[in-house]
Amino acid sequence: MAETPDAGEVPVASSAIVGKSPTQISLSRLRKDRLAMVCLGVLGVIFLLAILAPVITSVMDIHERREPGSLNAAEWTDQFGYPTVGPPYYGFDPSHPLGLSPKEANDNLARLLYGIRNSLFIGFVVAVSAMAIGGTIGLAAGFSRGWLDRVLNFVIDLFLAFPFFFFAMALSPIIGMAFSQNDRGLAVASFTGLIILLIIFSWMNLARLVRGQVISLREREFILAAEVIGVPMRRVLFKELLPNLVAPLVVWFSIAVPTAIALEVALTLLGLGVSGTPTLGLLVQEARSYWETYPLYLWTPVAAVTVITLALNLLGDSVRDAFDPKTRR
Amino acid sequence: MRLKTPLVGITSAALALTLAACGGSGGPEDETVIDNEAAGSAGSGRDPDAKGPVEIKGAKEGGSINVISATELQTMDPRNAYYAATIAIHGAFLSRTLTQYKYDEKTDSMVLVPDLATDLGQANEDFTEWTFKLREGIKDENGDEVTAGAIERTVEASMDVDTYGDFPGNYLVDFLVGGDQLKDGKAEPQGVDIDGVEATDDHTLVFKTTKPFADLPAYAYFPLFSATPEGADPANYEDKLVSTGPYKVKEYVRSKKLVLERNPNWDPATDPARTAYPDEYVFEFMLDTNKVDARLLADKGSDQTTMTMDDINASNYPQFKSSAGDRIVTGSSPLTAYLAPDYTKITDIKVRKAIGLAFPYKEFYRTAGMIEGLTANPGNTVMPPGTPGYKKYDNPLGVEAGTTDAAAAKKLLEEAGAVGFELKFPWSKDDPDGISPKLKDLYVEKFTEAGFKVTPVQVPDAKFSDYVRDPEADINVRTYANLGWFSDWPSGGSWFPPLLTTVDWKSTGSYGSNRAKFSEPAVDKKVEEILAMPIEDQPKAWGELDQEIMETYYPWVVTYQGGSVQAHGSKIGGHKIDNTMGGPTYKQLHVLQ
Repeated sequence: MAETPDAGEVPVASSAIVGKSPTQISLSRLRKDRLAMVCLGVLGVIFLLAILAPVITSVMDIHERREPGSLNAAEWTDQFGYPTVGPPYYGFDPSHPLGLSPKEANDNLARLLYGIRNSLFIGFVVAVSAMAIGGTIGLAAGFSRGWLDRVLNFVIDLFLAFPFFFFAMALSPIIGMAFSQNDRGLAVASFTGLIILLIIFSWMNLARLVRGQVISLREREFILAAEVIGVPMRRVLFKELLPNLVAPLVVWFSIAVPTAIALEVALTLLGLGVSGTPTLGLLVQEARSYWETYPLYLWTPVAAVTVITLALNLLGDSVRDAFDPKTRR
Repeated sequence: MRLKTPLVGITSAALALTLAACGGSGGPEDETVIDNEAAGSAGSGRDPDAKGPVEIKGAKEGGSINVISATELQTMDPRNAYYAATIAIHGAFLSRTLTQYKYDEKTDSMVLVPDLATDLGQANEDFTEWTFKLREGIKDENGDEVTAGAIERTVEASMDVDTYGDFPGNYLVDFLVGGDQLKDGKAEPQGVDIDGVEATDDHTLVFKTTKPFADLPAYAYFPLFSATPEGADPANYEDKLVSTGPYKVKEYVRSKKLVLERNPNWDPATDPARTAYPDEYVFEFMLDTNKVDARLLADKGSDQTTMTMDDINASNYPQFKSSAGDRIVTGSSPLTAYLAPDYTKITDIKVRKAIGLAFPYKEFYRTAGMIEGLTANPGNTVMPPGTPGYKKYDNPLGVEAGTTDAAAAKKLLEEAGAVGFELKFPWSKDDPDGISPKLKDLYVEKFTEAGFKVTPVQVPDAKFSDYVRDPEADINVRTYANLGWFSDWPSGGSWFPPLLTTVDWKSTGSYGSNRAKFSEPAVDKKVEEILAMPIEDQPKAWGELDQEIMETYYPWVVTYQGGSVQAHGSKIGGHKIDNTMGGPTYKQLHVLQ
C-alpha cells in the first residue's frame, strides 16, 4: 500500500500555524456561534431536568399520577374538577409550582418532568436507531452499483409509499388486543410499539439522502484515487466517505429528534400513542380542553414541546452551517 | 331508554375567544346542586282533558332556533327511535303519538296529556285491554288522514328486533298478545299481524296484553306509536319521514344535521301540548363539545338564538355561572348510573357490597367530567328521585351514599374469605374522550387498595359495546363511564321489568338490558304481582321492591343519579328541563324578539 503523508509530516513555514482537522475547525466555529451556544445551554438544562426527574420530584415531594404519595383527587379538587390550591383560581402555591392538574390532582411539574424525560427518550432512541438503519442502507445502496442498489432502493420506496398513519391505526388495536388482560405489559408494549413504529417510518429519507451523497462522492477524485491505490472497501466507506457525510448526518439527526417528538405528540392526539406513560403528547392531549379555563395547564407542555423542538432545530441549523465546507469563512 | 351522552370531550379548541384572566383568588361558586329530592314526581301528573291550542304568554312567531350538540343523532325512523334525544325531537316536532308529555310551569314537571288520542286511553278492569279513540281530521304533511291502521303498522313493525335493532318495541314483545311469537326475532318487517294490537276502525286502536300493563298510556308517547305510510322502507324511510307534527323535514343528513320547516297541515287546535313559534329549527350534531360550550358562552350573532341539549361540561361550568348565570337551566333527569357486577360470577353479596364500598365515587365524577351534586348525584336506589313511588332509604352499605370506605370493603372481603377476589372489567385504550384509560387507572388503584385483585381487560373502542353486550364475555363487572338507565316513562314499570328480572341469556345470547344478569325467582314473581296491581297502588309497591332488592341482593353499585344542566342563547325563551327525558322542553321554545 502506498504511503500517504501525514498532515504532521508536511513541512510548515511557521511553527505558529497549527494543523487542525476539519472537525476541529467546524467545532471551533460552532463555539463562536452564540445562538448555537444558547440552544446548547437550554438543551443541557432540559436534559439535566429529564435525567434527574425522579430525584427532583422526590426532593420536592411532588408526585406523578397514581404514584405513592400522590394526592387524593376528591380532597384536592372541587366539584367541577378544579384544584383547590394554586392556579387557576387561587394564588401561587410553592409546594406545587405549576399547580395541580384538574380532575386528578396530579402535580403538573412532576408530570411535565416525566413527560420531557419520556419524550426525549423517544426522540433520541428513534433518531439514533433510524440513523443507524438509514445510514447503513444508504451507504450500501449508494456505493454498491447494480442489483443491490436496485433492491435497496425498492425497499426504501416501499417503506416510503406505505401509509404511515394507516399502519399506526392498525397497530394500535393489535397491541391492545395482544395485551388485553395484561395491564403492565400493555403499557410497555404500547411504549415500545410506538418507538418501533416511529423508527420504521423515519429512516427512509436519510437512506435516500446518504445514497445520493455517496453516489456523487464516489465519482470524486479522492475516492477514485483511494480505490485505485487499493484501499479496502471498508476503509473507503468509513474513512473516506463517512467523514464527508457527517454534515448531512448531523443535520438530519438534529431534525429527526424533534420530528420524532412532534410525531409522538401528533399520534397521541389521535389516540394512537402511548397509554399510561406520560409523554409531552399525552400532556397536551389531556390539557386541550382547558385552553381557556386553565391556560397554565395547557401552555406548560406546549411550551416544553416548542422550546425543545426549536432549540434542537436551531442547533441543527448552526451545526449544518459549521460543518458545511461551502460556508467556510 | 338508552342514554347516549358523550362525557367530557377532549377535542381541539381552536376558537378565537379572548383568554379569560387567570390567577387571582377565590374559586368558582361552591355548593351548586340540584335538589333532586325536591324534584317531585316527574311526569306522574296526568291531564286527560287537556285541549289545544296552547299559547305562551308573550311568545311571538318567527325566527330560527339552532340546537347544537356533541352527540350523534340516532335514526330518525320512528320505529327505531330509542335514544332520549331522538325521541324528544320526534315527539316535539315530527311525530304525533297516542299520548305526549307537556311541561307544566306550576310544578316544573311534565304532565301526560293526549295527543292523537282523544284521552289517555280506556282500560278494562285488569289493564289487559286498552282502547284509544283517535281524533278525526288529523292530517300528515301530505294531507293524508292519520288512521288507526297506520299506527298499528308502526307498532307491529317496531317489534322486529332484527330490522329495528335499537328495539324501542321491547316492551311490546313482552306484553302484547302474540308478542312472544317474535321472541326469536323472526318477524318480517311490516309483515306480521300481531293479535295484541288491532285497528277496529279508522279511529279506534285496541291493545290486548297477556299480563296487566297499566303503564301503556305513559309509554304511548314513544315515536313507535305514530303513523307511518304503507310500504315505508326500513332502509331509508328516515330520509323522507312523513311528518304529522308542527314541523316537517327540510334537510336531513344522517347522524349530523336536521333542518325543520313548518308543516302547514298541523292544526294547533287539535294539539294540547305543542306550539310552533319559530319558523325554522336547525339541529347540528357531533360538534366538539367544548365548541358547543364556547359558542353558548360567547352568545354572539346567531348564537343568541342557539341552545344545546347537552349538559355543560364540568370544567366550563364555573365560567357559565359567572358570566351567563341567567342562561343556565337545571333540572332533574330520570337517570341511574351503576356498575353491574355479574350476578352469575360474583355470587357473594359481601363481595358485591365490597365493590360498592371500594368504588371511588368522588374521583369517578371528576374523572368522568361530571359535576357532583349537579349532573351526578350520589344515590343508592334503583329508581332515581322524581320517579313516582321513589322511596328514600338508608344505603345498604351502611355508609352515606357516594362514600368510599376501603377499610370496610376489605373487612367485608375478609369476612367473605375472598381477599384477592379478581375483578375483571373492560376499558378501552383508544376511547376518543380519553376517559376510559384514566378510569381504568383509578379503578386499579382503588380496588387494589381495598383488597381486590384487579384485571382490566382492554377492548378497542370500536368493539367495546358489542363486547360488553356479550353475556359470555370474560369479565365480571360491566362498567363504562356512562353506563346507566334512563327510564322510558316515569314509573317503576320502566325499571324493574327490563333491568332486574330474569333473562334467558344462555339460549338467546343476549341479556337484554339486564346488564348484571340478575336473576332471582322471588323478584320475578314480585314484579309480576306489582304489574297486576291497580295503577294507583303500583308506585308505592315499586318503591318497596326497590329497597327489598337492594337490601337483600345488592345487584348494582349505584354510582350516581342524573341531573341536567343546559345553556341557551340570550334570545331563546321557554327552555326548561323536561324531567322525563332530561332534555330541553322543545314544545314551548320561542325566539325572544
